Amino acid sequence: MKLKQIHSLMFAAGLGIATLASAQALVPAPAPAAAGVPPTWAQGRTADGMNPALVPNPSPLVAKPVNEILIDKLKVPPGFKIELWASGMPNARSMTESPSGTIFVGTRFPGNVYAVVSKDGKREVKTIAKGLHRPNGVAFVNGSLYVAELSRIIRYDNIEQNLDNPPAPVVVFDALPKDEPHGWKYLKLSPDGKYLYFQIGTPANIVVPPSTHATIMRLNLKTNTIETVATGVRNSVGMDFQPGTNELWFTNMGRDWAGEDLPNDTLNRLVRPKGMNFGYPFCHQGDWLDPEFGKGRTCDEFDKPEMKLGAHVSPLGLRFYTGKQFPAEYKGNIFIAEYGSWNRTKKAGYQVVRVVLDAKNKPVKLEPFVTGWLQGEEYWGRPADVQVIKDGSLLISDGEAGAIYRVSYSK
Amino acid sequence: MYLRNPKAIVAMAFFNIYGLISWQVLAAPDAVLGKAKSQTCFACHGADGIGITPSIPNIAAQPPLSLFYQLVQFREGMRKGGGMEALAKPLSDDDIRDIAAYFSVLPPPEAKVGDAAKLAVGQKITQQNYCNSCHAPKLQGQKQVPRLAGQSVEYFVAQLRNIRSGARVDMDGTMGSAARGLSDEDIEALAAYSASLN
Repeated sequence: MKLKQIHSLMFAAGLGIATLASAQALVPAPAPAAAGVPPTWAQGRTADGMNPALVPNPSPLVAKPVNEILIDKLKVPPGFKIELWASGMPNARSMTESPSGTIFVGTRFPGNVYAVVSKDGKREVKTIAKGLHRPNGVAFVNGSLYVAELSRIIRYDNIEQNLDNPPAPVVVFDALPKDEPHGWKYLKLSPDGKYLYFQIGTPANIVVPPSTHATIMRLNLKTNTIETVATGVRNSVGMDFQPGTNELWFTNMGRDWAGEDLPNDTLNRLVRPKGMNFGYPFCHQGDWLDPEFGKGRTCDEFDKPEMKLGAHVSPLGLRFYTGKQFPAEYKGNIFIAEYGSWNRTKKAGYQVVRVVLDAKNKPVKLEPFVTGWLQGEEYWGRPADVQVIKDGSLLISDGEAGAIYRVSYSK
Repeated sequence: MYLRNPKAIVAMAFFNIYGLISWQVLAAPDAVLGKAKSQTCFACHGADGIGITPSIPNIAAQPPLSLFYQLVQFREGMRKGGGMEALAKPLSDDDIRDIAAYFSVLPPPEAKVGDAAKLAVGQKITQQNYCNSCHAPKLQGQKQVPRLAGQSVEYFVAQLRNIRSGARVDMDGTMGSAARGLSDEDIEALAAYSASLN
């Protein structure tokens, strides 16, 4: 399918859903005076469904001043220490580390990209790009910083030599869909250095998407062509390759408005390089048919997640622990940043969790690793990504506070 | 409803928004300081937060976070119009919080009487387009979402047309998709209905 056709298709899909939704709307609707398209996040909400007062959390545009970053409230396991590592980066989200140790940070709302440079034990934050459109994905390849915006992938060459005066970006690929809902991208370089992996999220809460959407894609850096890697993935905003197997593991966020505790967000594993389908919009969490779209389907048609993470916790970035600083039992664990819920009356997530794999490479334990961003029902911070850096410590970005924390261990 | 002590009500509003935790001492937004910092704004938006001409928005009783968001977007060049980019440029986050605190506790604009048939159409479109989901049951706004109730009709129409055409980009695409299917008549009816609320 040509990408140009996607928009008209999307619009048709949106109208279809709108018709469904208005039939169930809270207010009986006579002949429509307007198109009557609900905001995409409200699609799938039913009159007899969940607490209708739930709406997405406000998007952060500014960074919190240091005295509003409640570092003392963050709890880590015994022997670990957490500190504020860098701040003043509005909506700091996805992270990547260059071989020389520069941390590049993408954002969703302010349109900035940051570089955090360490010198003599201190960090300096440089804003290297402004005014981009949802530059959420960052990846560092052979001296160049790749940034995934909403509908294009761009590249800053020789970036580390030019942090104070970055060059104009080279446009690498600019024909991605322009849908705003779930349109911001995560970006991950494959271990062989040949591909950039990213997702194209579904353009609403729950729709039958065009074949281009609800996918994981990859861009061949040599031929500059894209191909579909997996389908049925509602929205994955976190990916990492497992050391050893080189398999892609990724988080996936479940649909809204179907229940306070269903369906689960999930941790997934790509065991076949192509052709896996993780079920959206028909089957969620591997074993739960969609109340509407699941009719006449079975979850046996689809590939299963490796682990359920809880409903609405919003898992974003994940990393395998590859460092040597943490105790031996942490080797090969997966850390996941949970940005936290909006579509749930009692908030969930707002923490970094640890997943332990057994000898057969199966996840067997899920437990909190860092908590405290949520105090009662109020959050002051939201973990967005994790990054194991060269010294073996773990960085955690906070999209709400505009900060990065560092977790370290000493015997 | 409108307390004599704006500081108290602002402190309460701020607490509700951020749910700030009592053990953390914060410089709460200061409406008194905000008034001093808002002198430039008065020339167009009035000391009472009511625009001096219909093309200028009424900003009285806007949710403080909504004012904060708009001023930050002007400052960062994410929103343009009315020369606001230049005016917002020198403002710090704290300045903006104080200014937002001042205007947010002013009495809301008066409701305007409109053509009954037009208002009914506006109300219907409001329901069909789920405007209340974000803009609150009486379109009084909440959190970062602006108050539409009592807004100037001319300003409302211009902004919603800009959002529909993409000339004004909203935060996350929600308003862009909401405005996509609206006709000019729809927008005018929505403006009249919003103006009729208080």
